[in-house]
Amino acid sequence: MNKRVQSILLLLIVAVLLLPASLVHSAAAPQQQVLLLFDSLAIGTAREGNVNELQRQLASLNAKVTLVSLDQYERGAMAPYSNVITVINAPDLAIANKSYLGDLERYKGQYLHIGYSPPASLKKALQLTTGVMYGASADLQIGEFQETGLQVQDMPYIAASKAVQAYGTVSFRDRSLQVPYAVSSGKYTYVPYLVQGNASILAIANVLKDWLHPNVSPQTYLVLKEIYPFSDLELLEKTADELYQDGIPFIASVRPVFSNTDFPAMQRYLEALKIVQSRNGSILVNAPVIMPSINSSDHTLQEKMNGFINLLINNRIAPLGIGADSYWSYDKEYANAGMGFFDSAVLFQDDKQVLYMEQTNTSKTFASSLYSLPLDFLQSVQHKASKAMPAFPLNTAITVDFPQDEAELENMLHSLEQYWIPFADYKQGAHRVVTDTSTISSLQGVISINGQELNIDYTPETVNDDFQYTQEQKKSFTKLFNVQNQFFIVVIIISLLLFGGLLIIGNRMYRKKYMK
Amino acid sequence: MTDNPLKPSLRPGFALASLPLSPALISAFGVLLITVIALFTAPYVGMADNGDYFRNIYSNGLYFNLPDYDSKYFGYFVKQYGIYQYFNENGATLDSSQSLFIKLAIGLNKLLFSSKVFDIRFQAAIYTILYVVAVYMLIEAITWKMSKKQGLVIAVIAIFIFGDTGYTAYFNSFYSESVVMIMMIFVFASWLSIYRKRYNDYAMLAVLVISSLILTTSKQQNAPVGMVIAMLAVPLIWIRRDRIFRYLVMGSIALLMFTGIATYLNISKEFVNINQYHAMTRGVLKESTNPETTLKSFGINDQYSILKGNIYYEQYGTVDVNSPILEKDFYSRYGFGSILKYYVANPGQLGAILNIAADSAFTIKPVAMGNYEESAGKVFRAQSHFFSIYSLLKKTLVPKTFGFILIWMVLIIGLYIPSFIVAVKSRNIRRMQRMALILTTIAVGLSGIFVSIIGAGDADIAKHEFLFTLSFDLVTFLTFSSVIARRLAGSRQISSNTTSEYPAEAQKGVSI
Repeated sequence: MNKRVQSILLLLIVAVLLLPASLVHSAAAPQQQVLLLFDSLAIGTAREGNVNELQRQLASLNAKVTLVSLDQYERGAMAPYSNVITVINAPDLAIANKSYLGDLERYKGQYLHIGYSPPASLKKALQLTTGVMYGASADLQIGEFQETGLQVQDMPYIAASKAVQAYGTVSFRDRSLQVPYAVSSGKYTYVPYLVQGNASILAIANVLKDWLHPNVSPQTYLVLKEIYPFSDLELLEKTADELYQDGIPFIASVRPVFSNTDFPAMQRYLEALKIVQSRNGSILVNAPVIMPSINSSDHTLQEKMNGFINLLINNRIAPLGIGADSYWSYDKEYANAGMGFFDSAVLFQDDKQVLYMEQTNTSKTFASSLYSLPLDFLQSVQHKASKAMPAFPLNTAITVDFPQDEAELENMLHSLEQYWIPFADYKQGAHRVVTDTSTISSLQGVISINGQELNIDYTPETVNDDFQYTQEQKKSFTKLFNVQNQFFIVVIIISLLLFGGLLIIGNRMYRKKYMK
Repeated sequence: MTDNPLKPSLRPGFALASLPLSPALISAFGVLLITVIALFTAPYVGMADNGDYFRNIYSNGLYFNLPDYDSKYFGYFVKQYGIYQYFNENGATLDSSQSLFIKLAIGLNKLLFSSKVFDIRFQAAIYTILYVVAVYMLIEAITWKMSKKQGLVIAVIAIFIFGDTGYTAYFNSFYSESVVMIMMIFVFASWLSIYRKRYNDYAMLAVLVISSLILTTSKQQNAPVGMVIAMLAVPLIWIRRDRIFRYLVMGSIALLMFTGIATYLNISKEFVNINQYHAMTRGVLKESTNPETTLKSFGINDQYSILKGNIYYEQYGTVDVNSPILEKDFYSRYGFGSILKYYVANPGQLGAILNIAADSAFTIKPVAMGNYEESAGKVFRAQSHFFSIYSLLKKTLVPKTFGFILIWMVLIIGLYIPSFIVAVKSRNIRRMQRMALILTTIAVGLSGIFVSIIGAGDADIAKHEFLFTLSFDLVTFLTFSSVIARRLAGSRQISSNTTSEYPAEAQKGVSI
């Protein structure tokens, strides 16, 4: 890495460190109750995943979300919420739920409509005319980010509006048409288009941030995922070293271990994590893998997580939060027993396999929650800034799978240099982890365990491989049994010989008598 | 090599006059009655899904139509499933002869019940009919030419063993054990009928070959079954003089061997991740005194020692069994062959794990899976105890060490050796068949144990050892019947029978 890049990155980090703590973190932001309504999850279509995207973005904005399908909406359900979002993914179906339509007319709070069929009241307030683009190439620009050449199908757009505020622009090149991405006026906001995986997620993030917490300055963090006890630990140490040398603070989301924690292999894992911590790496406990055979009476999660966090603490490793698939925050058991120790989380996009134990429609909120974006996503978006990546609209975790070999490590470092992202140090924020015996807290770069400041400097130690894997069973009367064994062996051999002899004699007598 | 020189005086076939009270009919009817009560009257007895069903049902055009199906895993039996109404894009995830029966049941279901909802009891009905026929054939082969009193005693014992719901509960499930059980009994009964010359040899050969083929291809674990049967069935070539029969037997043996090998080759390809995971964590590593050295011997990163003893059925784990890291650095380093080699090189560890295997080798119905529907109001994983005296006694009373299995084998073979020697001396190939059958059944049972240890360690072992527990029952039942026939008769049945079909010298030392 050339020195110029290094010095710029260092400067950026210093700038981040100098920011006041209240700005660094969204912890101070007030919590809002959001009702998220949807007509369909659009499974199998281009819009699949957009509701989940909203859930994750709202979580990072510290909103307590209640997710309800429009079919199940009941009269009066909207009233307690300060903000309501409706996502309409089906282009051809009108909203049939009369309770919803009636309540919406009377609703006083902030209303955000996403997708097709905006309600009449919203149209009237925004003086909105909409259209649908059937197959086109579009350029989306929002803030300093843009994505060009988006291939869109059946895309609703704002044909005309006299709203007070417009967000971003969508340009249909073939048709020489430029329209706003989203518009807002008073209590109404309208976003016609949201698809997971393209720049529209950054665009909606801008809208949501403005809608909920316009004054918070978001930060970007680097998160290394897929770190297992059997990952290449030398490579992990090397990665930590390289990032440290490049002045990039990072977060390692490490897989928990619930058994065999006294094995040398576990000790080596802990050693590697201590080195990671000493290289300006913050530690997150990654949520355990859920096996498909869900047993609703298995309530061991709390005990297991507690044990693992305590094990880390005993080894002077201070986890500052949890990294989990976002659906964990919508499951009572996982949210309470698994995430209950932490007030900070990074919510990843859900894996293909979503296995609830006790699903709930209201999310668990965290004082600090990061929205995650994979590093690869950045390939598809461009930005206007000359070199450094502009700030993302939300507190964001850029995630990278831990490299499997040196070549992948080099690639990762190269990409990070290329994107010029000013990463913040997770320790600078306020985080708190409480187990049955200990409390970890971090603020402005200082980590304390039970009130005592943790010195993260660490000199590597060698793990002793000499380990008794199987406990020798306690034996009694061994001598007596040995003697007894030998005695019986002799007796049996003599008896066999005797019987053999008798058999031979008997056979001969038999032959003599009958076989003449 | 000679064929039986004497023609039977009684024509093989149905003896209509003895039909109403034949022991075979009594036992078949008894088993039918108990099975119908257990499986077809409320509360229905079945088996809960342990997560394996998807492999069998999606490829056959069924799907889980309950929204909360996941919550029933292990706990509750589910009797209805959805039938795909549109093109099924799920290719066969598993090539198993079980599909034949599932497809047949779906056809019957569509014809008689619904084209949208599949009721698993249609499958249970097909299995029950086949099972009752198999039990009839078995008891007929065993009790043929026995006195009525002896036959009756054996029939009653047969009802207790084969009517046990530990066995029949499998019919209301998508586990391949149902097919294994029925086909194994057909193999045993047809071979025994050939030995006894009870029915037409050609017909019995057909039953033997077809049931062996279905048995071998019912699950990958049964690959050695085809090979074992093929090897031990070689003497069958010479039981008759007619060339057609000999060619047929030879062809059948070749076919069985080929099927066994083909199924084996399929194992290495389809050796699914869960089993491969367990083969290492619950097998090789479990009894290893130094897992790090063991892993190094396979060329695997010693950090994986942390997975020692780990089981997929633990709800919360460190790694997903299908994760790329395991595919790349773990599964790719070992297979069926290298694990077998490891056990051969470490007999001490094999012995230790065999004892663990023996601990559950006598369990017919695994306790991990519930037997009732949730609507029956029973607790999660509740077990049915309806007509399961035999399985309970077997589980409680049999000594659970591999040493016992060895002693049992020695005892059984020892008991039948005299009659076998007589048959060898008299060069009566047909008379030798009983020993061949017993050896085959024992070998098939042992293959069940070995394959499950090598293939999946001790995880789920109670279910994997089903083939052994069934073989144990068949052989022990045959031995008991022989003992009863001899004791109750006071003298040898065949030698006192004037219509004997066998030469006098061939009957020396032969018990029924």
